[in-house]
Amino acid sequence: MSLPLSHSLRGRLLWLLLVAIISLAGVQAVIAYRTALAEADVIFDYQMQQMALSLRPGLPVGGELGEPYGTKDEENFDFVIQVWTADGLRVFQSTARAELPQRAVLGFSTVQARGTTYRLFSVAAGAQVIQVAQDMAARREMAGTLALRTVSPMLVMVPLLMLVVWGVVSASLAPVSRVRQQVATRQADDLSELNEEDLPDEIHPLVHELNLLFHRVRQAFDAQNNFVADAAHELRSPLAALKLQVQGLRRAADDATRDVAINRLNAGIDRATRLVEQLLVLARQQSNSAVGAKAVPIDLTTLARLALADAAGSAAARQIDLGLVQGDPGIVMGHEAALRILMRNLLDNAIKYTPAGGTVNLAIRCHDGQTLLTVDDSGPGVAVEDRQRVLDRFYRVAGTEGSGSGLGLAIVKTIADLHHATLSIDRSESLGGLRATVTFTNVS
Amino acid sequence: MRLLLVEDDLMIGESVLDLLRAEGYAVDWVKDGEMADTALDSQTYDLVLLDLGLPRRDGRAVLRRLRARKDRTPVLVATARDAIAQRVEGLDMGADDYIVKPYELEELLARIRALIRRAAGRAEPVYEHLGVSIDPVTREVTLDGQAVVLSAREWSILELLLARPGMVLSRRQLEEKLYSWKDDLSSNAVEVYIHGLRKKLGPRIIQNVRGVGYMIPKSAT
Repeated sequence: MSLPLSHSLRGRLLWLLLVAIISLAGVQAVIAYRTALAEADVIFDYQMQQMALSLRPGLPVGGELGEPYGTKDEENFDFVIQVWTADGLRVFQSTARAELPQRAVLGFSTVQARGTTYRLFSVAAGAQVIQVAQDMAARREMAGTLALRTVSPMLVMVPLLMLVVWGVVSASLAPVSRVRQQVATRQADDLSELNEEDLPDEIHPLVHELNLLFHRVRQAFDAQNNFVADAAHELRSPLAALKLQVQGLRRAADDATRDVAINRLNAGIDRATRLVEQLLVLARQQSNSAVGAKAVPIDLTTLARLALADAAGSAAARQIDLGLVQGDPGIVMGHEAALRILMRNLLDNAIKYTPAGGTVNLAIRCHDGQTLLTVDDSGPGVAVEDRQRVLDRFYRVAGTEGSGSGLGLAIVKTIADLHHATLSIDRSESLGGLRATVTFTNVS
Repeated sequence: MRLLLVEDDLMIGESVLDLLRAEGYAVDWVKDGEMADTALDSQTYDLVLLDLGLPRRDGRAVLRRLRARKDRTPVLVATARDAIAQRVEGLDMGADDYIVKPYELEELLARIRALIRRAAGRAEPVYEHLGVSIDPVTREVTLDGQAVVLSAREWSILELLLARPGMVLSRRQLEEKLYSWKDDLSSNAVEVYIHGLRKKLGPRIIQNVRGVGYMIPKSAT
């Protein structure tokens, strides 16, 4: 059943209470009617009995049936009295119209006659039977009046009660209106918390959850804004370089200058390409973590061998000694493609920042329920104050090659986050350069 | 004219460096904020082309320090950050102009010329003095309406002297304006160019103040 205003708490409460009160009044009326009827039965039955018994001694024996005594049809008495002889002769009748069937049953009975129901009491008096009857309609009418009298004050009270309920409900819902007001009047980009004070227990958790949601949305919003600002900067720089390189090419006066300009332009295009690729990898990893792809058990050491093979070419080109120094069988739950990108980025970074002839070591170690992936290099390392910032998107350490996208470690961090692993940057004790550690917590 | 290029992006830096040098500017290039500070402390430049997002010391800090020293060197901020708030912040901090990367080289050069002109206290784009007029955009030089062909260095010296008539510039000052750190200069190079200029523009236009330097007089003597 769909009630009007069924989406409003106030409306729903009012309707349900109204229905409940009216049903209650109805039930009460029925009970009152029934009770009154039962009481009337008892009282009238007793009256009829007394009437019949009181007639018994004073009846003429074997008398003839005379004209009904002092009857006028219009008066329509409630009670009808008849007297019969033992051989079925009616000797007395109180009203002419009320001819009731002769009943052999003594005591109380109910008969249908002349389109209505009569209550009948018969008593034997010597050779005669005295019958006293009453139309039941009279009893029902009286019971109805009684029942109405019981219920009518209640019916008058209903509107008053509704008003009171309206008032109480409105007052109780005031905090809800206040919250609604707060939400309705705020700006579209206003994600500040709602006031949680003075809220009833029923609404407080909802508003609290809402505030937590606001907080999370605001964080996502800020992160997005930062990313857009950073991306604007980082996408423009390669484009600015390309534009200048083209202008350099256009202005080149001789072949030697032109060759230099063309080489620069090529390098600029490579750089822009790398940035776009890295951005795509980052976006893909972030959407992966949002979609929640299913993790599978992966052996990090097997994966490390593949990643080392991938990076071997670029290491050899710079005479860098690249190798696996420890390969514990570390099984982690994860995503193979993502972890391979993670290793590849760490290795590429190490190779890029290590001077020619240096060393880069990869290791997988298991202990204390953790699996550690470390990449050490013999490069210049990162100053302590820069170590947190190198994880930021687009951050490049001062004086480093302009070809980096600044996204490498940000991608590593995103993938580490996806695996609930932590990424940390330290000084490499063994090689003196940078050590990047990804710490996975083993699943039991 | 000597410019300081502050740019951490190697690709952008080397292109801008070459293009500005081809325009006849002497350019020093530094790649971080600390180096920029050091350079600005030890040398006077006609203009600083400043990137804001710099390693070691932010471009804003460099700018603040420069202005705190009451240094009035024109600063043109070139950055990829284009939010209006950042531009306003940069200008309010003491930058003279703002250009957003990626920019057209022509626009960059025009803004550089305008800032240098303004710093010299002039609004008109063509210098004209004592019958000699030079146009920094087309690099045309005329003497009494007749076109004169100058070498790049000769042109630079003439521009320096003509920018502030009556001001004596020492040989050292001229050298500093003409050469960046990387150029090796022969000891009498300035004299060679002055000699060339006198041959082309007549002996009277550039005067030698002995023991002090060279000048173009405010009015004909």
